[in-house]
Amino acid sequence: MGLFQKLALFLGIRKKEVNVLVIGLNNSGKSTVINHFKNDEDKASDIVPTVGFSIERFQNQNLAFTAFDMSGHGKYRDLWEHYYKDCHGIIFVVDSSDRLRLVVVKDELDILLQHPDVCNRKIPVLFFANKMDCKDALSSVKIAAGLGMDKIMDKPWHISASNALTGEGLNEGVEWLTQQIREYIVNNKF
Amino acid sequence: MSRSDLNISRWLDAHSDRGAGLQVLLNGAVLADVAGDGDHRLVVADVKLQPDTRSRLKVYRGTLLTSDQTLPDIPSAVITFYPDNLEPKVPAVGITCGLDLLMYKNNKPYFKFSVPSLPISALEDEVWTKFKHKNEHDLTQLVDSLKTVPYNTLTSRSQKLLLLKPEDAADFVDKFKDKELKRYSPITCATTLQRNSSEWNSVSCPVLATEIGQIYILDPQNLSILHQASVSVSKATPSVIRAIGLFDVEYRILIATREGLVCLLRRGWLEGRNVLQATTYIVDMVIMPADNFIILATMDKTLSCYSKKGSKLWSQELKQQITCLTLVPLKHLSMTLIGVGMKGGSIHLYRTRHFVDYVSIPDTPSSLLFGKMGQEDHVLVTITTSGILDIKILKRTADFNLTQQSTASNPILQNKPLPLPKRSKLFLEQSARERQNPIEMHQHFQQDLIRLRLNAARALVQSQGDQTGVGNDKELIKLSAQVLGLGPKFTLILNLENMNGDKALIDLTMIFHCKSSIYQLSHYVLRIPLVPPGLIYKAEIKVEDVSSDDFQGQNPVQSVKVFCTRGDDTHPILAATINMPPTDLNII
Repeated sequence: MGLFQKLALFLGIRKKEVNVLVIGLNNSGKSTVINHFKNDEDKASDIVPTVGFSIERFQNQNLAFTAFDMSGHGKYRDLWEHYYKDCHGIIFVVDSSDRLRLVVVKDELDILLQHPDVCNRKIPVLFFANKMDCKDALSSVKIAAGLGMDKIMDKPWHISASNALTGEGLNEGVEWLTQQIREYIVNNKF
Repeated sequence: MSRSDLNISRWLDAHSDRGAGLQVLLNGAVLADVAGDGDHRLVVADVKLQPDTRSRLKVYRGTLLTSDQTLPDIPSAVITFYPDNLEPKVPAVGITCGLDLLMYKNNKPYFKFSVPSLPISALEDEVWTKFKHKNEHDLTQLVDSLKTVPYNTLTSRSQKLLLLKPEDAADFVDKFKDKELKRYSPITCATTLQRNSSEWNSVSCPVLATEIGQIYILDPQNLSILHQASVSVSKATPSVIRAIGLFDVEYRILIATREGLVCLLRRGWLEGRNVLQATTYIVDMVIMPADNFIILATMDKTLSCYSKKGSKLWSQELKQQITCLTLVPLKHLSMTLIGVGMKGGSIHLYRTRHFVDYVSIPDTPSSLLFGKMGQEDHVLVTITTSGILDIKILKRTADFNLTQQSTASNPILQNKPLPLPKRSKLFLEQSARERQNPIEMHQHFQQDLIRLRLNAARALVQSQGDQTGVGNDKELIKLSAQVLGLGPKFTLILNLENMNGDKALIDLTMIFHCKSSIYQLSHYVLRIPLVPPGLIYKAEIKVEDVSSDDFQGQNPVQSVKVFCTRGDDTHPILAATINMPPTDLNII
């Protein structure tokens, strides 16, 4: 990094760029969550299942986010681990109305937390208990208990109930993530 | 949870509902996208046999029961098929109840097909017309004439009449004589056959099998009969039916019957052919999709595989009674496993004949299903005999260790040739000789082998009877004894060997035990001096037989016991019994 860039960064002129990874099972609403943060002109009206992954950019509080919106389909979940190394934060989207697959979410979360690129880093993890508007949705507390999140000691985490269609609960979660990433960058860079 | 914990089971316990109270027959449940929204649901025909309860059609969305409706009769099978290509694609659910196939779409009944009535024998028809007009005194005579007709060709009304007591017969006839006489055969099992495309959501035809062995292939849209055939020449009652192929191109329908036959029906055939005859009753049958092999589960706890022509390829005896089978297709691993549900609540997974995994459930499964449920592709749904609904999800990371297994258990498929040495001249000469005199060589070999065994057995007997060479491996010492003399005076020579290569034996004592009424020894305790490593200490003891003659005869086995102890330790480090020969005074 050049001297000028460092100076600019220090003065807060240039925006910091951070990478966040958006993961979760298929049909949990990852692309819909990301769609909410996009500018109005970029917003897609019809969300289709993501194939592979897609890259979206948005800003929050002077941080430029690059979101890797990963496909949650079983056959693409192997791709997730290749992006763990370069990301500064993880957004884990859970379909809170899908009681059947809560065990699958837990399994994927365990695999994530045991991955060598994740387990030794104090990387912030934000959970969205999405689809809170569904009538048979589980509460965020129940999901946190069901996924055994109380056992995550070494990483900052936060769960917020959300409705990605209306945007409810999303901003609150991302603000928390922004705050954590700021701290993370400060602690690691200087 | 550690990584090793994750590897214990390949299955995640998604849901287990002990209070579901489902009673399901074999093939009484399906997984289908019944709402057309991509969210696959479980459709169950819940059989209730008690007189005051009705059977129900239940639909589960994930873990929740979303629809529950009563059925008019006891269901025998549930099938699901796409009746048309119209968008959005919503499959129909077909339930066979008695004589009817009831079709439901979007959980609403919308079509019904009844199997056509069968011809009635002329005599029976005549008897019932006479019942209408004649008086009661003819009744017994007419009923007797019904008995001349073969029982299984009678209508159910006449069959019941014949089973009634003579005094009840008149009421029965009065009640039913004005109704039209019809003969039906109820549907026993059903399946679906894809019509012209092998896509999973293409149009498929329901295939029904009735108790007398008629097969009906129906048009899915208007439920008219497209093809009708009989299962077999002989009497055959279908119990399990499976279809593969396409109706418009070529298809194979395999029917397992209660008589233990498996019959094949192909395109254009009006009558099925027997492919194979199982030795006992058939419990369930599945067809492997790739090679059309027939997998049969029979009552004698056996899982067997037959080729499509009916020749037996392999069979595997299992520990428990099999109750149901299912195919477990794993596209991402490009293989299909066979799920075998067994009595006692275990489900074994086989890849051809090789056991790969097992799942345990609380109770004996009555129906097994594997497929897409909700958004998940690999879901194993089990309904047990006590009504438990159990849902397990296959982990994404499960690979069933196929790479290891295929090399370990299949020497036929070894790619690498074994490292055999080149054939030497000696080998060639030997093989030439073997070809010339095979019988003699074999006999010689057998003789030598028997002799070798005899020698080995003799040596064993000798070593067991012989006291020479008692040892202690831990202490590395060995004691051997030799008895010299004919009696009444013997000399006992004892050799104590130190087998330890680098440590000397010190502070040892040898103690002798014997019956003082029989023997008298020169020493009873012998202190042993230092025995250097690898050397032998030799001790000599005089033994005198002091017993009287008649006592010898009573107790032929007389022995002297030897113990070696170290220091003041009370536990001997070595003990031996030396059998003394009897004193034969006659020789002297």
